Amino acid sequence: MTEDMQTTDQEQDFASVRVVVRGEHGLHARPAGKLAQRAQSFRSEIYLLAGENRADAKSILDVLTLAAGPGEVVQILARGEDAGEALDSLKTLFERNLED
Amino acid sequence: MVHKVLTGIPVATGIAIGKAFFVNRNHKAHLPRQTVSAAQVPAEVERLHQAFADVGSELTAIREQVPAELKEYGLLIDTHLLMLRDPKLSGAAEEHVRTLGLNAAWALEKAVADQEAVFGAIHDPYIRERMQDVRVVADKVQAKLIGAETDLASMSGRAIIMAHDLTPADTVELQVDKIMGFATVRGGKTSHTGIMARSLGIPALVGVDRLEDVVHDGDLVVLDGLSGKIVVNPSESELEDYNERAAFFEDYTRKIKRHCHLPAETFDGSRVQVMANIELVEEVASVIDNGGEGVGLYRTEYAYLNRTDLPDEEELAEKYIDLAAIMNPRKVVFRTLDLGADKFIAAFGELGEANPAMGLRAIRFCLKNPQLFKTQLRAILRASPFGNVSLMFPMISGVKEVRQAKAWLAQAKAELRREGVEYDPDMPVGIMIELPAAVMIAEYLAHEVDFFSIGTNDLIQYSIGVDRTNHHVSYLYQPLHPATLRSIKLVVDAAHQAGIEVSLCGEVASDPFCVPILLGMGIDSISLTPQAIPGIKRIIRQTNMHDCRKLLRDVLECRTVSRINNLVMDNIFKHFPDEVTFFTSLLENDEAPS
Repeated sequence: MTEDMQTTDQEQDFASVRVVVRGEHGLHARPAGKLAQRAQSFRSEIYLLAGENRADAKSILDVLTLAAGPGEVVQILARGEDAGEALDSLKTLFERNLED
Repeated sequence: MVHKVLTGIPVATGIAIGKAFFVNRNHKAHLPRQTVSAAQVPAEVERLHQAFADVGSELTAIREQVPAELKEYGLLIDTHLLMLRDPKLSGAAEEHVRTLGLNAAWALEKAVADQEAVFGAIHDPYIRERMQDVRVVADKVQAKLIGAETDLASMSGRAIIMAHDLTPADTVELQVDKIMGFATVRGGKTSHTGIMARSLGIPALVGVDRLEDVVHDGDLVVLDGLSGKIVVNPSESELEDYNERAAFFEDYTRKIKRHCHLPAETFDGSRVQVMANIELVEEVASVIDNGGEGVGLYRTEYAYLNRTDLPDEEELAEKYIDLAAIMNPRKVVFRTLDLGADKFIAAFGELGEANPAMGLRAIRFCLKNPQLFKTQLRAILRASPFGNVSLMFPMISGVKEVRQAKAWLAQAKAELRREGVEYDPDMPVGIMIELPAAVMIAEYLAHEVDFFSIGTNDLIQYSIGVDRTNHHVSYLYQPLHPATLRSIKLVVDAAHQAGIEVSLCGEVASDPFCVPILLGMGIDSISLTPQAIPGIKRIIRQTNMHDCRKLLRDVLECRTVSRINNLVMDNIFKHFPDEVTFFTSLLENDEAPS
């Protein structure tokens, strides 16, 4: 699942935004699926960071194994031509509560 | 060929005759574990991806067939598709083929095992359980790789699905047009298999002992969802009989369904409301289809089960508002949480009750946990302006309990008022009468509430003191025990004396044999499983009140259950020959097994 953090040099190429997991279940199957699906629509590399763990946002399995609970802060990282757009889109998704 | 008859609990009516098809039989044992040479690797990788792609197109095809009312199932398939297409799974398997030289099936097994280890370390049990979905998906791919015919997608013709147990995750990927019926070893009256079967209009039996030993793939079986029987390898003549019975039943259902929207009015002009018991908001379609005049019992427990936390007010209110609005102007009666502490292990810790049926449950549990109770009351109140909403408290034993529950309701109302949230201040409030104590003080209770609802299943168990699932004593569970009948009569009379309405929910209400007696009592409404409504409405429309009252008088003079049952049967035989053919009644003789 989560890979070790890359070097901080690379880390700096990423645009990032912090969000809070809403809903009562955290990132369970449906929200994780919705998130992965949305992430897949962008060309950028996108990762989620929660605590020590890091997940490929385009992989539902990875997002699930992040096991981010309600109220947890998640950092979204994106790198690529549509990184800004991807961050905005995913941030809105988090804010709208992924359960809907 | 062994000719055998098995019995189970019918959870969806109808008769199906077809080939048995087992799902979820473990086929891991046949998983070929071979290595491939470097030269074969590209072909093996190709084979792996082809299998993933094939399963993907099958799932997509199934997804398109899922009817809109099974929205939850559709979403589950979406999740499965995402897992299937997740490069983390297929990519890892490919990697194992390339670097370790494993064959595709073995490589995938290793990828799944690795994923299992990762999920196993997750603390949140809800997410940990999602590994089951990964398993379901991987099994499909593996079945493709090894050409196993044990996978549902590979089912060629129509068949009767058999399994030890069917989880929602299993039922979801069935190709609905190929399924003729379900039979499972596990599961009870309220299991998912039943809900699924009823929504598909096919028969289902659960709790079928020895199913896996006696029935084999491809056996010709008769699945009788009316009598709860499975006939394995039937004889010529049995087959003929069942074919005829199935055709008759189809005719009969069509006939009663055509008239199900007519009011339930007796020949001599007495009206009874016929409402539905539901558990899921999604069931409203079948309530309306079957001519239900409202929801007489909405069991609100479902939202609290199979999770580790509690639903919040928002989540509940959203569901409740939907239900109230869809049914409007038809009535919806919300029953507040009717669960025991034993169901809330995760959120409340285990109590270790010696006798949970008499323990901290239903209204007792809610009064002990006012936060949880008030959250639900607020959600119901918020739904009240959107439709015709009533509320009732389960398992009331005395006047004080009703007053306490109503005090919390008043507090919830006061809070909403302060917050400027709209609610119906005149929402009717009722109680369930299901304890003998409540029966005895019905005249006092009637002054506290707007209506009664008699829950006969519990009332019978508590008044006769019998657990119907205990086969040593289940013969004593008698719906028409003189004590039950007197209790119902007492409650109905007390309600009417006080000028409030009384309804009855419980299996008795869906038993065509018992309904004439209930009519005779003067019950104002009955509430039953939606699928039984057309048949019961037909009975009501073909009786007259005069006869029902006479039957009741005769029955109330009988001193034994068998006398009562005989009278009731005679009545039905005389007036409703079709019902006698198609329905097994709850009524059985009360003889102790020797």
